[in-house]
Amino acid sequence: MSLTSDFEISFFIFFGVISITSALFITRQKNVFYAAIGLVFLGISVAAMIALINVSYAFYSAFHILLYVGSTVVFLAISLVMFRGLNVKEVKIPWAPVVALVVGVFIFVDLLITFSGITPVSSLQAFSLQTLANDILQNYWFPAIILIIALLTTMIEAISLARRD
Amino acid sequence: MLLPYLGLVVGILIGSIGVYGLLNSKNIVRILLSSEIIFNSAILLVFSASAILGRVYLPIVFSIFAVSMGLVEVVVAFAAIILYYRNKDSLEVE
Repeated sequence: MSLTSDFEISFFIFFGVISITSALFITRQKNVFYAAIGLVFLGISVAAMIALINVSYAFYSAFHILLYVGSTVVFLAISLVMFRGLNVKEVKIPWAPVVALVVGVFIFVDLLITFSGITPVSSLQAFSLQTLANDILQNYWFPAIILIIALLTTMIEAISLARRD
Repeated sequence: MLLPYLGLVVGILIGSIGVYGLLNSKNIVRILLSSEIIFNSAILLVFSASAILGRVYLPIVFSIFAVSMGLVEVVVAFAAIILYYRNKDSLEVE
């Protein structure tokens, strides 16, 4: 195993630990504002892990930080300031960890069955922004239009919320 | 080639924590935050699985649409939460 590969695995494990810790922090934190801040760390560590999986995915990693962390999570955190009483009343549901464990085991078994007969590809093709743009404009133009309309609706909704209509 | 498999494991763990948070809370904002944890885990699983299968553009296009729709979903959900808070003066789900 090369030195670069060792570094990549070490960084991946580091960000994996951060993401798991952030997820636990979000589910255990009593103040939801701090929980929303925890989501920033989760988003950044997931973006870093995606970039580490393969360098071809680095474009999406930047997109994830810019759009998801930069707008979604910041919007959530800032909007939470509007509320009084952000502290959460704890409810103890004894079967919740069991259901979470069952879901985890189910996804694991599902992935194990899916990938058991597949030979992994050793190297991916290089990423090209032009190919991605052509792909979206030629094959996925209809979802892109729907997305543009949805984002426009969101903007109108944000204005109407700000005006308290 | 180890990293995609590690990504699958981390994705499953984060997703399980998200499901736990979703079930273990009556606060409407924490339910939204837990669903965001599951969303992040799903994105990580998609990229890990795609790296094993050798796909480059398909997961990127899928995730770009998913994250953008996630932004719309958060704003719409938050508008609903604000309305709920104005009516009930509380963030607790009954």
